[in-house]
Amino acid sequence: MKRFTASIALAAMAFLAGPLSAQDIVIGNLADITGGTGDVGKPYADGIKAYTDYINASGGINGRKIKLLQQDYAYKIPEALALYKKFKDQDKVVAIQGWGSGDTEALKEQVAKDQIPYWSASYSAHLTDPTKSPYNFFCAPDYSTACRAGLKYIKDNWKEKRKPKVAFIYPDVGYGKAPIPGGKAYALELGFEIVGEENVDLKALEATTQLLNIKKKNPDYAWIGGTKVSTSVILKDAKKLGLTTKFFGNIWSADEGMPKLAAGAEEGYMVVIGAALYGDKVPGMKAIEKVTGGQPQVSHWIRGWVSMMTMCEVLKVAEKNKELTGPGIRKYAEQLKNFDTQGLTAPITYTSSDHRPFMSVILAQFVGGKMVKKATIELPRKQEWLGL
Amino acid sequence: MSVSHCGDFKETYRDDMKVFQTPFVRVAVGLFVLLLYTTPLFSSNYVTSTMTTIAIAVIGALGINIVTGFTGQISLGQGAFMGVGAFSCSYFMRVAHLPFWVAMPAAGLTAAAIGMIFGLPSARLKGLYLAIATLAAQFILQYVFMHLDAVTGGSNGIPSPPPEIGSFVFDGDRSKYYLTLTMAIGAVAFTTNLLRSRNGRAFIAVRDHHLSAEIMGVNLFKYRLISFSVSAFYAGIAGALWGMYTGYISAEHFTIDESIKYLAMVIIGGLGSVIGSILGAIFMTLLPQALTVGTGALASIFPKIGFLIMSFKDGVFGIIIILFLIFEPDGLAHRWRMIKAYWKLYPFSY
Repeated sequence: MKRFTASIALAAMAFLAGPLSAQDIVIGNLADITGGTGDVGKPYADGIKAYTDYINASGGINGRKIKLLQQDYAYKIPEALALYKKFKDQDKVVAIQGWGSGDTEALKEQVAKDQIPYWSASYSAHLTDPTKSPYNFFCAPDYSTACRAGLKYIKDNWKEKRKPKVAFIYPDVGYGKAPIPGGKAYALELGFEIVGEENVDLKALEATTQLLNIKKKNPDYAWIGGTKVSTSVILKDAKKLGLTTKFFGNIWSADEGMPKLAAGAEEGYMVVIGAALYGDKVPGMKAIEKVTGGQPQVSHWIRGWVSMMTMCEVLKVAEKNKELTGPGIRKYAEQLKNFDTQGLTAPITYTSSDHRPFMSVILAQFVGGKMVKKATIELPRKQEWLGL
Repeated sequence: MSVSHCGDFKETYRDDMKVFQTPFVRVAVGLFVLLLYTTPLFSSNYVTSTMTTIAIAVIGALGINIVTGFTGQISLGQGAFMGVGAFSCSYFMRVAHLPFWVAMPAAGLTAAAIGMIFGLPSARLKGLYLAIATLAAQFILQYVFMHLDAVTGGSNGIPSPPPEIGSFVFDGDRSKYYLTLTMAIGAVAFTTNLLRSRNGRAFIAVRDHHLSAEIMGVNLFKYRLISFSVSAFYAGIAGALWGMYTGYISAEHFTIDESIKYLAMVIIGGLGSVIGSILGAIFMTLLPQALTVGTGALASIFPKIGFLIMSFKDGVFGIIIILFLIFEPDGLAHRWRMIKAYWKLYPFSY
């Protein structure tokens, strides 16, 4: 009896999942919904899904629908690898929307070998060098560029005669360490004095030891390379200890939910954001507002949306030229020139020797419990910065 | 057909120690191995690569079962020792230009040496205290992986070149599977025989009652240390194979989660049992995948609450583990023995 019920359930599942039309374009999505980065991974995955539904409803890829396979890998590398094999061998996906540094790094060599384009939300600069990672793409400023932009903004607004002092606070993991060498080199180049470096773990519940060290050295500014929770811990402890240092941080270090976590300590905190904020007056926001019914979404959601939008643009060109294969998608992605995301991000350009999407970085600041845009920093596309 | 005695009528120790107790078992095991080797011919690459991960897990689980199941020393460093194997194998291949066939055993020996160093506290510590000492090994090694950039690539990780014989490169799913499967079968055979040896008996004596063991002349420290290094050797081999399987090694993989997963494998499979290690490795590899695919399928039926269903996954995983520990406290190996006993007496079981 049990077996009978199970087989009925299976049959029902197969039926309801719907037959896969040969016309559908299959895209895999490795998402973190339940794992260590699920708090930001879920809105990102929601954004990808929302854009997919949106494009399917408005004509698809030259009339063909996208079949998006979203799977949760809970930020566990073995599960990401297993799902990747499933995507590649069973589902025959043509491209993948990935997520964090764990899965992206682990799959970097395999996607290059299997020629499957991989759009990630890991923005490590070394992914932008096509000689090392030919099939990796993303749609945000890389971490090093983000850090450089923050430094440049500070320097441009520095009024005093002496050198500004800067410190770096980051977790001892790939994401945290990635922008530090590039950032430090650029800080020296701009004429900063680097006074300290501290590690605060992503799961830290307090950071007083590290902040007391920072307080002693009294930097004017400190970079925070963590995620939302650890950033809120740093900001709260800094307020408690009475630091006068001003903080600025990486793209994942804060979002619209920060005031709830930091309870006022976030006032004045400057953060790099990769895309427009919900409700901005840009043409691309209209569609977003429509599909979300006016429900505000965090910036990660919008970056997920843009990532899928960029991929779909490439898919359209590849489809039209009947080259809807891994190498074909890569080829047309690398021909993408000043792709207009309708104001949601700066225009995106990839070339066969440079996968940096753009060099402009938006800085936002927390003012009165709200995240507001502060400045847009345009950096030169320096060859020696590629991959660093 | 299998005809075995309805009781223990063995007259020599040799009889008692036989690996294959009846010709039937020999044939059955032979057929099973044949099946394992032929599976990739009629299954998809996805199945093949899942079986590769299982084979790697079997090697790692056998290793931790030697130290925890047979010698009774809790080790929470298996994941880190796997990392040592993976990184050193890659290092030997890239920098010393050794072929994989030399680099892999060398990586195993490196892991064994490091395992021995972290086994030193077992001279003085037992039980939970030793567990904490091995936990330190996990964190120290994790720190090293992150900062020894020249060997491990630091936070970026490092590629692991594929093995080669002549011009044949092991970079397909099938060739990787055959290599890993052969190593796993070798590991199973070696472990089975190790336990029939003087060393193996000493391990079990140390576990069962360390005072009695010492009175009988078993050097406790020596055998604990051997057990730690053998266990780490297995982990090193498993790590080297993992590196080969993924082609890229990153420090983010060899964390405490991985160590606990291996400990869970042997607890669920059955402590102190070779078949338990195998069953535990299969179970702990397939369950998360089955849950992922299952919840994924459910989520596509109910797209509105798709992510909600997916987030039940970890909860279900936990519940299944708890249920297992309540209803199968001796592990899957015990259930396996019960099934065998049932069929042995069929249809006249009482």
